[in-house]
Amino acid sequence: CFQLEEFEQIDFLRDRHVRFFQRTLQVLPERYASLETTRLTVMFFAVSGLDVLDALDVIDRNNMIEWIYSLQVLPTEDQSNLSRCGFRGSSHIGIPYSVKGPGVLHPYDSGHVAMTYTGLTSLLILGDDLSRVNKQACLAGLKALQLEDGSFCAVPEGSENDIRFIYCAACICYMLDDWSGMDIQKAIEYIRGSMSYDNGFGQGAGLESHGGWTFCAIASLCLMGRLEEALSQRELDRIRRWCIMRQQSGFHGRPNKPVDTCYSFWVGATLELLDVFQYTNYEKNRNYILSTQDRLVGGFAKWPDSHPDPLHAYLGLCGLSLIGEPNLRKVHPALNITQRAFQHLQQLQQTWRDNAGTCT
Amino acid sequence: MFYRDRKEWADLEPVPQDDGPNPVVKIAYSEKFSDVYDYFRALLKKDERSDRAFALTAEAIELNAANYTVWHYRRVLLQALQKDLREEMRYITDIIEEQPKNYQVWHHRRMVVEWLNDPSEELEFIADILSQDAKNYHAWQHRQWVIQEYKLWDNELEFVEKLLEEDVRNNSVWNQRHFVISHTTGYSSPAILDREVQYCLNQIRKAPHNESAWNYLKGILQDRGMSSHPGLLEQVLELKETHCSPYLLAFLVDCYEDALENNNQKETLNRALEVCEYLAQEKDTIRKEYWLFLQRSLESRFECIDVLLCQGISPLLKSDIKNGV
Repeated sequence: CFQLEEFEQIDFLRDRHVRFFQRTLQVLPERYASLETTRLTVMFFAVSGLDVLDALDVIDRNNMIEWIYSLQVLPTEDQSNLSRCGFRGSSHIGIPYSVKGPGVLHPYDSGHVAMTYTGLTSLLILGDDLSRVNKQACLAGLKALQLEDGSFCAVPEGSENDIRFIYCAACICYMLDDWSGMDIQKAIEYIRGSMSYDNGFGQGAGLESHGGWTFCAIASLCLMGRLEEALSQRELDRIRRWCIMRQQSGFHGRPNKPVDTCYSFWVGATLELLDVFQYTNYEKNRNYILSTQDRLVGGFAKWPDSHPDPLHAYLGLCGLSLIGEPNLRKVHPALNITQRAFQHLQQLQQTWRDNAGTCT
Repeated sequence: MFYRDRKEWADLEPVPQDDGPNPVVKIAYSEKFSDVYDYFRALLKKDERSDRAFALTAEAIELNAANYTVWHYRRVLLQALQKDLREEMRYITDIIEEQPKNYQVWHHRRMVVEWLNDPSEELEFIADILSQDAKNYHAWQHRQWVIQEYKLWDNELEFVEKLLEEDVRNNSVWNQRHFVISHTTGYSSPAILDREVQYCLNQIRKAPHNESAWNYLKGILQDRGMSSHPGLLEQVLELKETHCSPYLLAFLVDCYEDALENNNQKETLNRALEVCEYLAQEKDTIRKEYWLFLQRSLESRFECIDVLLCQGISPLLKSDIKNGV
């Protein structure tokens, strides 16, 4: 019967997605080689995805926590590498496996800001208490990445610099409850400078406005607690308008471009942070996301009938969570982790504050 | 032939990846892949500066052009070995043509252009990449950097117009238009502003359902008085009859809002509320709840004096309450 088929077409296949993330955490074929230096972010997509699905019990959390700690770039005996500390994306440099310090001196070993961010979030999601994170070293490494114009590079050796890495930096400072790792004022200036004439945000000044960079801008300001200080009510209303115009069925990232599942989160979360996600069309959004679901292997793709990947699988789930899909955990729209993981972070931070108070 | 079997490499001990007892997101590399990278890691550890190292980076890049460490090491070698940067430009040109959406390759090109201090090939190269994908964000970013860094503004507006003729809906090109004009003539002169307004309206006449054109129009006017630009409101109301779109109607609401801020008139408010209703119920129903929300906001902000007086409330007091005084 046709109606029954229609219902099946938009059925949310929870178990397939759980298995998709499980496989992601195991072994990927060689054609995924380009993900090598970012394997930690791929882990984050899978682990946070399983958290959203309330399925973290299917993995061995302790083993995963150990692997993440093996990626920490720790200070050497003489602390000469502090400005290079943080987390690596993977073992691609060839440092021998170790979960504790002191760090090994290597001419090319350093952290990457997006890996430090996803390393910390993954540890939190897996229930770790961050006690083995060298927080001061991470913050020193972070500070070394900020440029005069307020933006951040990804690695101390040099890389492109833009608003993505401001977001990573803001998440790191937020999680470690320590903003000494960045010059907030300069970062705010860069963010403001990235606002386009059409009221979205580009990757930097003059660049085309885009859903991903708009999320980075707004989420960073929210994490800093400076949203209403940095942007006037008039500007916020204009940004709301730019964002809400991104909905076509699902959402696209730029005017006159095709929709893509991941923007259901990037733009959806931004709208949520701006209190107007409630005015979007949930049904059309949901129908689009589910149309990109891979019914065979699980996960989601950017478009229907395309190959799923961990990023779209995770952000598709987050997009569904924002609209209140049953049996999905709620996601913190700025930090991009479940509210459950966020509460764990809050408890940890309370402990740190209590301990600091009782220091002799 | 594997590096491990080459006698010229026998002095080096290959360095495998070490993920420990429980690797996560492990990628299953072929023998060939592992062999190249095991030797890359060996070179890296020694920080060897040699031609054989330079040659190996090309192989490593071919296997994974997203490995930023390989690119960094290659740049170190380019300088240490005083390699021919013109040749490197040819190399990076080929790689970008194959993989135009990779961050590392564009960053590498930027570094080489800076070292050579020679942007002379850039505009043509980027134009070629854009001819394959006219919205490639990396390409536009690189283009803006080159133009700003080396002051190559002269022909860019012409380039923009050509691309808009090819696709008037290309949002990247509209953005580039704003980039060029704001950094050259600016929008302060009434002549320029009016030229741009007319340009927009002409493009809208040709392709009415084009958010990019409307965003540009609003963008250049929103802080210069949308409702005070001579004749604009009339032109838009005319277009509403024959070239209507959700973007036109949204622009109209914004015009009315701007007018209300300068002169709160009941008639203007009613028009604004009507357009919101029209958008919500007919012309942009996907955003129905948003347009109704906007309607309520406008109503609340610009509630007219005579309405308040009818309610027996002093308008000043009511606005105080609203502002939390």
